[in-house]
Amino acid sequence: MKRFWVVFFNCFLLSLPTLGWAAAEKAEALEKKVNLANLSGINYMFAKWYNENMWLYALIVTVLMGVVGMLIALVTDIFLKMAGMEVSKIEHHE
Amino acid sequence: MFDIFNVYLPIAEMQFNALILVAIGFSVGVLGGFFGVGGAWVVTPALNIFGFPMAYAIGTDLAHIFGKSIVATAKHRKMGNVDMKLGLLSIVGSVVGVEIGAQNVMWLTRLGIAGPIVRYTYMFLLFGLGIYMLYDFLTKDKRAAAQAAKAAEAARAGMALPVRKTWDLPPMIHFPASGITISFWTVTFVFLFTGYLSGFLGVGGGFIRMPALIYLIGCPTAIAVGTDLFSVLFSGAYGCFTYGVKGRVEIIAAILMLIGASIGAQIGVTAVKYIRGYGIRLLFAIMIILAGASVALKQFNLTTAAAWMVMSAALGMCVVIMVQLWQGVQKERAEKAGH
Repeated sequence: MKRFWVVFFNCFLLSLPTLGWAAAEKAEALEKKVNLANLSGINYMFAKWYNENMWLYALIVTVLMGVVGMLIALVTDIFLKMAGMEVSKIEHHE
Repeated sequence: MFDIFNVYLPIAEMQFNALILVAIGFSVGVLGGFFGVGGAWVVTPALNIFGFPMAYAIGTDLAHIFGKSIVATAKHRKMGNVDMKLGLLSIVGSVVGVEIGAQNVMWLTRLGIAGPIVRYTYMFLLFGLGIYMLYDFLTKDKRAAAQAAKAAEAARAGMALPVRKTWDLPPMIHFPASGITISFWTVTFVFLFTGYLSGFLGVGGGFIRMPALIYLIGCPTAIAVGTDLFSVLFSGAYGCFTYGVKGRVEIIAAILMLIGASIGAQIGVTAVKYIRGYGIRLLFAIMIILAGASVALKQFNLTTAAAWMVMSAALGMCVVIMVQLWQGVQKERAEKAGH
């Protein structure tokens, strides 16, 4: 009987996020087109992707954030090592 | 004078000062790396205060948080501060929670009440958590003494200490890196709830997840910091993408903030090596109370005072962290030289 209640309670708990999701309103995209007239270079490219395909724009933003973050980390790491601030495994003290 | 640093933001279609964006990024980078949080509780109000359009503030913030948390997580992993198993479990809860939260805030925006509700929720969480953590810090010695007295009494009576009653609904999971065994449901709901807040408030969810990992799950502070950043990475990535699809990320602003944040995060993470767990908790408590005070000022239309409060608090805490780091490095060098 105890096992039954454990399984039952597990199923109930699993369904909670789905209920929350169903109760939520659907998200709205920002209905906007960027004026490309005075833009050039990288600004123009970003705005063009933004206007034409929001999924592509979101993908580019996400990938770019990861790549830029890693590149800067690599460079900063070199400088920190030069300053003697290299890190390795530490002991955890409260 | 600082107008020469103005850049054009193509998506928001406005001029904005690049120095402000890099400075905000740097300060939250240091705080984020050190406390294991995204730092949106500083970024979103700061962007709002400096006149950045709110329609893009949350999405832009989540985008830069994603990039920054890659940097910080990698470094924390080197230091053995990331519980990968616990972190991976966070993905499902966080992603579902972020989506529900994001949809809720859009609905509130349509009703025209998103601003005050988000700010009141912010205030409640920031003050509540800050005061609790401060109380925890101030009473730690008293609690340790009481626990030691109980143990001594039990030893004298030849009995074992009574086991603390915990929520133990199966399945139970063991996390060797953190040294804890806990119900799957506790872990799932902690991450679901913090994911929801992440989407709702436009934050990485870390400022509530880090204390939750310590107080509800039972992780050591440094592991809570590292594992939290690992979770922020996923909620940030999903938040970045989902807000991107909704057209709410200003990409140039996000890149500028990321430049500052990536440098700052490296400094913040390195500082964790030199400060003990309770020291991190104390600084965290002070920081989120000050952040809560700035949101309260904003609610009373004291925008300029709120701007000074949030930026001074963030910069002040950055200075404290960097000074602690510097002192730690000097001490370590002196010890090495002594040997």
